[in-house]
Amino acid sequence: MDTALSEICAFIQAIPPFDLLDDNALESVVKEINICYLRNQENLPPDEFAAQTLFILRKGALSYYSAEDELLGMYGEGDICSIYCHEKNTMNIRVRTHEDTLLYAISYPVLQDILQDFPDVIAFFDNSAEQRLQKKMASVNEEAIISSSLINTSITAFYHTPVASIDYKSTIQAAAIKMTDLGYSCLVVLNGDESVGIVTDKDIRRRCVAQGLAISQPITDIITDNITTIDISSNAYDALMIMTSKHIHHLPVTNQGRLEGMVTVTDLMNHEGQNAANLTSIIHKANTVADLVEISKMLPKLQIRMAKLGTTADHVGKSISAITMAFTIRLIEMAEKLLGPAPVPYAWLAAGSQARQEQFAHSDQDNALIISDEMQPEHDKWFFDLATFVSDGLAACGFIYCPGDIMATNSKWRQPQKVWCGYFDKWVNTPSPKALLNASVFFDLSTVHGDTSLLASVRQEMLEKTKRSTLFIAHLSKNALNLRPPLGFFRDFVLVQDGENKKVLDLKHNGIAPIVDLARIYALAEGVAVTSTIERLQQVAGTRSLTKASAANLIDAYEFLAMLRMQHQSKRMQNNKKPNNFLSPKALSKLEREHLKDAFKVIKTMQDARQSAY
Amino acid sequence: MFFDSLFGYEAKRKRLLKKAPEGALRDFLSVPFPDKKQFFVDTPILSVDFETTGLHAINDKLLSVGFVDLHANQIPLKSSYHEIIRSKGRLKADNVTIHQITDSQKDQGESLQLVVEQLLKALTGKVMLVHFARIEREFLQQACLELYGMAPTFPMIDTLMVAKKRLDHRDVAYDPSTLRLSALRNKYQLPEHYAHNALNDAIATAELLMAQVSNMREPMQVRLADLLL
Repeated sequence: MDTALSEICAFIQAIPPFDLLDDNALESVVKEINICYLRNQENLPPDEFAAQTLFILRKGALSYYSAEDELLGMYGEGDICSIYCHEKNTMNIRVRTHEDTLLYAISYPVLQDILQDFPDVIAFFDNSAEQRLQKKMASVNEEAIISSSLINTSITAFYHTPVASIDYKSTIQAAAIKMTDLGYSCLVVLNGDESVGIVTDKDIRRRCVAQGLAISQPITDIITDNITTIDISSNAYDALMIMTSKHIHHLPVTNQGRLEGMVTVTDLMNHEGQNAANLTSIIHKANTVADLVEISKMLPKLQIRMAKLGTTADHVGKSISAITMAFTIRLIEMAEKLLGPAPVPYAWLAAGSQARQEQFAHSDQDNALIISDEMQPEHDKWFFDLATFVSDGLAACGFIYCPGDIMATNSKWRQPQKVWCGYFDKWVNTPSPKALLNASVFFDLSTVHGDTSLLASVRQEMLEKTKRSTLFIAHLSKNALNLRPPLGFFRDFVLVQDGENKKVLDLKHNGIAPIVDLARIYALAEGVAVTSTIERLQQVAGTRSLTKASAANLIDAYEFLAMLRMQHQSKRMQNNKKPNNFLSPKALSKLEREHLKDAFKVIKTMQDARQSAY
Repeated sequence: MFFDSLFGYEAKRKRLLKKAPEGALRDFLSVPFPDKKQFFVDTPILSVDFETTGLHAINDKLLSVGFVDLHANQIPLKSSYHEIIRSKGRLKADNVTIHQITDSQKDQGESLQLVVEQLLKALTGKVMLVHFARIEREFLQQACLELYGMAPTFPMIDTLMVAKKRLDHRDVAYDPSTLRLSALRNKYQLPEHYAHNALNDAIATAELLMAQVSNMREPMQVRLADLLL
């Protein structure tokens, strides 16, 4: 390729989806480029171009406007304008240059013709924002399934070699001494080169000591012959399956029939050592707050690791929420031991992100107490002490006190059932936007510990009311529409509604929270009791509040935004920085920006629908 | 009018056509040049750049030729052409660093005759666009002298002169370095380009002319005569 065109090739190749092209296809595309120049404030397409042209911005800027002259977006160097690809500009969008602009124009039919072998590239221009996002999330989820499991890990990553062995003529005592010296719980018993069996700690206990067998007896008296082995080419998942189904903890590894090493359940556990289930069981065994504080230090590491493995944000959120729940339960148990049993039944409630199971490490604590109506005034001391112990404990474990004081230590949120019913009555029946703004966190409540029926009956009553109260839903919708996604990106800035530029994208307030709010509104309008955003969207899909297609689009957008946030936070934590929600466009790849813009579009569409509904 | 018909480039073309030998040069001269009065947007233009071993058309050699069409405010890359010219003698090291053309590339290049023929064919019926006209004019005329025994004339637009005219018009002192191709592109906020490749410079020059014309008072009313050297 000529050096001159290779420069243009490199420019084009850096722009998704052209990055998917091979050099030949890229060269053919570049040869079809017509370079044109437009002055500031000229309309696209330039007169010389008939319909069906794709434009790539080489230099300058374009602004998109709706038919009502509302700014829809701005585009800079390396952005693609595909509005005019098709016969009809169905979106009714007008495009104008915002600076003097150098454009690369390509006839779209010609492009389709050249790229017949690259359906993904053509699909990128033909698909809607929703379709592109769906494709992206489908591939993310697929990767997560593959990479997060043991299936992907070879057994060679775990096994010990060489294997500790002992001659078959040795005594039981000699075996026990050798195991003690090596610190192993298992030996392979050899006759020459051939393995004749396996002996473990458990065999010595059950077949020798418990039976009163002399330790001077030959080891062959207590070994397990007929041993199960695994081939070295297997993966860790196979090993785990064999050990679980046969109830064994040691598995010799063979290479073409020859003994090569040993893999133990402990090895596999250590690999998954920081996993959520394991951490939960450690928390359960902790005896002091100090122990819990030690364990809590593993939480960021767990999140980083899960993010690295390609686990979905949903999975991470659920795991972290489950662990927070375990911390809380253990603290409550400790408090009850200290304070004596509860005077009346109660339940400890989580609110907000923990209740939605969408919590990440370093979240703040949102909690409350719901107490049986049998509660007497003198009982409050016990519950206050409980709340103080638990929230102090959580704070020590890194869950900072709620800045809005939504905590069980606040007497307002430590009340008997009937008072809670009264709260919800007031919020739903005589709604005021300001009161609802602070109360929305209480429409995401879940029981962490205690009598689940207390919350369940309050919720049931509340949902009956929210289903019928259009005024309440209208107020909630109005509040939700205060948080709007940005229009997109312009160069290295985030472009917001009024055409202003911002340096960072607030993933939480301009992306995730609007979807969480929408999902809550749909759920309350439809009387759906679940609290997690994805589950809410799944359950309201196909109701009068939300079509199935829209629900799927919102879930894709939510998962994508949550994934970006998780990766961003993991990166920060790895660099020993406090996780936050602020993403600089500079840190985003061009493709990520495209997907983000698609996600914003989905949110905007649904918000607009909400706005027109009320 | 009368002056043009005697001394204008069309009159010269007709006179030369009578003397031109059969072949590429004659074919080139047999097609009329665009009318001076026609609008810039309607005029077929060929943006051309040469890389040479020096500034002297007789002593120095043509190293490479690049060109691309500019028509109707568009540069179709399909029309782009780049060729290295085969010649005897070794290149000077400092030249190699500027043009990135090595001896071995040069040895594999095309003959001067073939490249000049392809250039004349592409230039037929068009106006030649260059940045700093002297090099391309003198080297092409010298090559034609060697190949055909005569040096043709042809209408040219020089983006350097277009810029200079504007500056002279304002009657203020300016730094001559502001008339360099990259400096002028910078002024019109055109992207950085990889200079000293013939095709690249030809594209860069064509982009610059589009920007220059777009920034004139009534771009659609700009006529060829307003731009010609």
